[in-house]
Parts: sequence; structure tokens; C-alpha cells
Amino acid sequence: MAVIIGNLHLGGLNTLFRFFISSFTPSLNSQVLQSAWNGLQVTFGFAILAWSLSLFLGVLLGLLGSYNLCSFFNISPVIATVIRRTLTVPRAIHEVLWGLLILQICGLSPWIALVAMTIPYTAHMARVFSEQIDNISLKELIAIKLTGSRNLESLITAITPKIIPIIATFGFYRLECAVRGATLLGIFGLGGIGTELQLSLMSLQFNQMWTSLWMLFISLFLLEKAIEWIQQPKFYINNTGVYTITFISSLIFSILISLLLLNYLGINFFEGLHFTPIHPPNFYRFIEAFKSLNWVQLILDTLILTFVASCIAIGLPPLIFMNVHSNIGQGIVSIILILLRLMPAPLVIILLLLSTTPSTSVVALALGLQNLGVLGRILRDNINKQGDQLFNSVLSTGATNSNAWLYGRFIQESISYLSYSIYRTDIILRETIVVGAVGGVGLGWQLQESLSSFAWEEVILISIVFVCITLIGESINEQMQKALLGIKRTNQFSMLKI
Amino acid sequence: MNSLIELNNVSLYNKSGIRLKGINISINCGEKIALIGSSGAGKTTLLKLANGTIFPTHGEVRFNGLSISKLTHKQRLKIGTLWQDLRLIEELSVCQNINAGALGRHNVTWSIANLITGININECSKYLRAANLPVSFLGRNIRDLSSGQKQRVAISRLLIQRPEIILADEPLSNLDQFLANKILNTLLSVNTDSTINTAKTCIISVHQLDVLQNFTRVIGIRSGQVVIDCDTTDLKDIDLRNLYN
Repeated sequence: MAVIIGNLHLGGLNTLFRFFISSFTPSLNSQVLQSAWNGLQVTFGFAILAWSLSLFLGVLLGLLGSYNLCSFFNISPVIATVIRRTLTVPRAIHEVLWGLLILQICGLSPWIALVAMTIPYTAHMARVFSEQIDNISLKELIAIKLTGSRNLESLITAITPKIIPIIATFGFYRLECAVRGATLLGIFGLGGIGTELQLSLMSLQFNQMWTSLWMLFISLFLLEKAIEWIQQPKFYINNTGVYTITFISSLIFSILISLLLLNYLGINFFEGLHFTPIHPPNFYRFIEAFKSLNWVQLILDTLILTFVASCIAIGLPPLIFMNVHSNIGQGIVSIILILLRLMPAPLVIILLLLSTTPSTSVVALALGLQNLGVLGRILRDNINKQGDQLFNSVLSTGATNSNAWLYGRFIQESISYLSYSIYRTDIILRETIVVGAVGGVGLGWQLQESLSSFAWEEVILISIVFVCITLIGESINEQMQKALLGIKRTNQFSMLKI
Repeated sequence: MNSLIELNNVSLYNKSGIRLKGINISINCGEKIALIGSSGAGKTTLLKLANGTIFPTHGEVRFNGLSISKLTHKQRLKIGTLWQDLRLIEELSVCQNINAGALGRHNVTWSIANLITGININECSKYLRAANLPVSFLGRNIRDLSSGQKQRVAISRLLIQRPEIILADEPLSNLDQFLANKILNTLLSVNTDSTINTAKTCIISVHQLDVLQNFTRVIGIRSGQVVIDCDTTDLKDIDLRNLYN
């Protein structure tokens, strides 16, 4: 914060003030409204398409990547291992990085946004689904199998009812992520509401920018509420079959509607791609590229960025909730959290850069604030589900509200909050490539520079280094999570081979 | 008599040591066997070996002369198990759970139809009544039932399978005396509805020694070894004292 405040300049502050004031007077010009509305439809169209495809592929790969199901079908577990290991690389690369890489090779085409989102989302969903399937108790499956039922019938009856709640919770959560991802891709020039936001910000048309922002906020808020409604257990308990069929039908229907909508908005998926041939990289140029970059500095900047952003995102929510007790205060915090969550981090960086100079602190603040919105919401929701007994009993000892919150509420949630926070640092690390490109920091910035100058050897090296850092980070976090939760993985079919 | 299940010199070891040692049991068609022994003696393990959930470290288990590990799904249909932990699918209704016992006789379309909506209502009702639950329970969710009611749904699932042999692991544990007698009679095919084809052969693990007179044979296990194997009429008090001491 000291660095940011030290570099502040008043002219920029005035612009920032204009930005905030414009939130009350968004442009209602019909052309602006139409343009923002079209952008929103494009973003949602791409998001739904990418989400549907990645959900379908993710479930399929998740099933194949499950050790327990491999064992059940007498398939070698090597297949599950190969699938899991192969998917780590596409998962480690952010959708924006995929978009930028494919853009360089294929030229500007609607397919890019779709493929760029589908690849990492599929890998991510496959990982979560396979882990969840391996954590499901398979006793019921074994029991049904032993009644003489064939494999497929046993699987449909015993496993489908258990997978559906996982798809309902995690799958729909990914739809929200897909809308945010599609907005981000738009900021990098791939169309939709993101491009509208980017263009209006660059021309300092804040009223127009707020028209798009409000539209995005309202639609994401409505989407969040719709997803919460769909996820209610009453819909799938006892109605697994109907829920599954409705879900699959809605998925197919959404794909068709999205394709028709995008076609209506002038986005033609069937336009030919313009491939730019990439010459095979030369070994000596690789060596030169390796020597030309200051790797220590780039990696260090990326790690510092991740660390500072994680500290902001993980540390602030408990501090805020510990000190805000009134209903009005909590209402204001909730609104701020929604705004932080919905505002794309690259736009926050550009806004901050209006009144300060590029630095790791600015980028870390923007990245940290966006993730604070996500973690704050999770902590608040989980604490709201608790009873009041423990809180009241601590309060009755004469403790202050803050201490009662800490001992009576937070302590019950601390393990699961920390566990999710560890997972969140993986996401923050992945996002450094995007915010770094905008904010001029770390590997993200260097990648942007190398892409702009078509330095393919550098692009490949940076991508490899970034994937390695992400995988190492993921592995460390996995160990930390296991230690925190005391997880011991067991193969439930191992008993068949005593 | 025909041997339905044979355990020939069966032993089972795992990391914690010996679970079963040198078991030789031949179960003939029509026998009603009570499996007794204190907790942890190896009754559940013996039943799991007999139904093919686990395989022995030494020796072999045979069903109708075939190795238990090589049974086809149609042959498996003939072995019905009532699990100690019931293994009902909590996310499904009572009707869907009962039908899960009949999957071996139907194809994949039937299993999908069962998942979409409870089918085969008449047959489910028949087996639900046999297990002493009213038909109104068919649409209920498993999570909403008491442990005794769940037990009876599991018995209905077992009965709809129409097995040749029933392996039941403590089926009376969650039931009151009156209900326990009724359920035991159902499992032993005594005084039951003539339209219900219950198995002629069964092995039931029990802790209540006052029900032993309903069985034709008693097998007692202590520390993984068979220490009693005789007709119920030949069972002596001293054998029981030795078994539990």
C-alpha cells in the first residue's frame, strides 16, 4: 500500500473519482445499451458453449481418470494415471494464455475463445470429478454388483445418484467461472462484454463503461441466484433420473440456443481459420532466448505477486467480518464483496494505473481484491449456516463481539476456510499470467512482450517455466491440504485383492 | 445332498494378521444355518468370502462347483446378501432401492427407467409387505427412514432378487423382538406369503441365541476358526460357553 500511495498522482485521482461518480450515471443511450447488450449475449453464448462442452468432456475424463472405476471395470489403473498426468498441463495454463497462444497460430476466429476456455475447464473438471468419484463410498456399487447385475446397470443405479450432486454443485459453479473467463478473454480482444469494457475504459468513457459493468453485475448476480436455486437438494434427491435427463436436455438446448444466438449476432463459427505456420524452433535460438531473459527476476516477481495477492485475499475476510457486526455494515460488506468478485482484475489494474505507476504492489492489490471477493463470500456463507449456540456462549462470558466472532464462529470454519484458501492460491498463481500481462509484472508481462514480438522460443520457454511453477505450487498445496485435513487415500476395491 | 457353497481349507490373512484360518465348510441345499460367535470373531469375513466380495489367501470357495471368482452375473443372481451396513442408496427412493435387487434380471433400459421413476410397483409392494412395511413407503426417501425401516427395505431388496441362498449378516440387530421373529420367519421361508419365493438355503449371522431352534445347523466361530459345526439338536450348552469365553 505504501508503494501505491507513494506513487499516487493527483491528476489520476481525479480520473478515478470520475470513474466512481459515473457509476451513478451510466449511459442510457440506446446505441450504447444495444452494444453492451450484444456484448453480454456474446459473452454468455461463449461461456455456455465452453461450459457445456467442458462439462461433458470433464465428466467423461473424470470417470476414466477414477482409480476406483478403473478397478471396477478391470481396466489397468495406468490409464487413470496417464489421463490425470496428461491433464495437469492444460489445467496449469490459464484460459487467457491459451487464447493468446491459439490467436497467434490461428488468427482471429470465434473458435479461439471457445477452445481457449474449453481446454483448461475440461482438465479442471476432470480432475475434480475423478477425485470426487474416488471419494464416493462404493459399498453400494459392490452390493448391487453382487446381486448379479452387470457392470453398466450397477454403475447407472449406484453411481449416478452420487455423481449428480457433485455436478450440481461444482459443475454449476464452473458456469460462473466460464462467464468471468469469457469476459476476461473479451478484455484481451476476443469480443463480448469484455471488449466493450476495455474500449470504453481506454477512451475514458466511464458512463459507457458503467452501462456494461452494471449489465454484467446484474446478469452475474441473477446467474448466481439461479444456480443457487438449481443446486437445491430437493430437486435431485429421489428424482435423480428426472434431474439428470432435465439437466442433459437443458445442456443440449443451451448449446443450440447459444449457437443460434451467436450466429444471429454475426459470429460465424464456420468461417475458415487462418493458420500462421510456426517454424520449428531452433535449438541455438532456444539457448539465446534462455540467456536473454532474466529468469530469476521474472520468477521472483511472479512468486511475490502470488504471495502478496494470497495474503490480501486470505487474510482480509476474517479481519473484516471480525470487526463488522451491525446489519448495515454487513450489508455494505456484502455489496462490496459482490463488486470485487465481479470486477475483472485486469480492469482494476488499468483503473489503478490511472493514478499510479505499474508495480508488483498494484497488480497484487487488484488480484488480491478480486479473490478477496470470492473467499469473503465463501466464509460468510459457511458462517451463516452455523448455529448461534457457541457464539452466544462465548459472548455470555463477557467477550467482545470481535472475540466472540473469532472463538464462537470462525474457529469452527477455520480448517475448511484454510483448506479452500490453499486451493485458491493455485488459482491466484494461474491468474498472475493474466494480470501480469496487463500490469507489467513477472512472467505474464514477459509473455505478452514475447508474443507481440513473435519470439516463439521465448514464448515456449516462458510457457514451460510457468507450467512447471504452477505444477510445483499445486503439488505443495495438495500436500498442505492433506496435512490440514488429515486425508488418507484408500482404494476401496483393494479389499477384493487381499 | 447337493453342496451349494463349499469353503475348502480357506484362510485369509491381512496386514493386521490372521482373519480366518483353515475353514472347511460345506453348505448343502435346504440347510438353515445360524452363524454365531462374539464380535470380531470373523462372521462377517466368512460371509464376504462366501459371497465373493473378498477372496481367500489360501484355499478356495466354490458355488455350485464353480470357483466363486469365476461366476457369471446370472450365477451371482443366485446368491443374495443382506449386509450388516445395509448398503442402500441413500439418494434413491424405497421403490428404486428395492428394484436395485432385480437388476440382474433386466437390461440397461430398465435400470435407466428405474432411475427416472419408480417402476415395477406391484412386485415392489409385494416384497415390501413381506418385510412388514406398508406400501405407502414406496415413494419415501431412504434418508427419512429409521434404522429398522431401512433394514426392512434391505430385506425387500434381497427378496426381490429371488436368490437360491441367502447370506445375512446380523439382520435382526435393529429390530424389536416381535419384528425380529417375523423377519427371521421371512428369511427362513416359514409362514410366508406363498407368492414369494424365498431361498431354501440360508446362512444367518445372529447374536440372539434364543432363535437358534429355528435353524437346522449351527456354525460357531472363535478367533477366525470354526469351533462349532453341528445340527442344532446336537448343540450343547458347554459348546456355547466355550465359544463365548
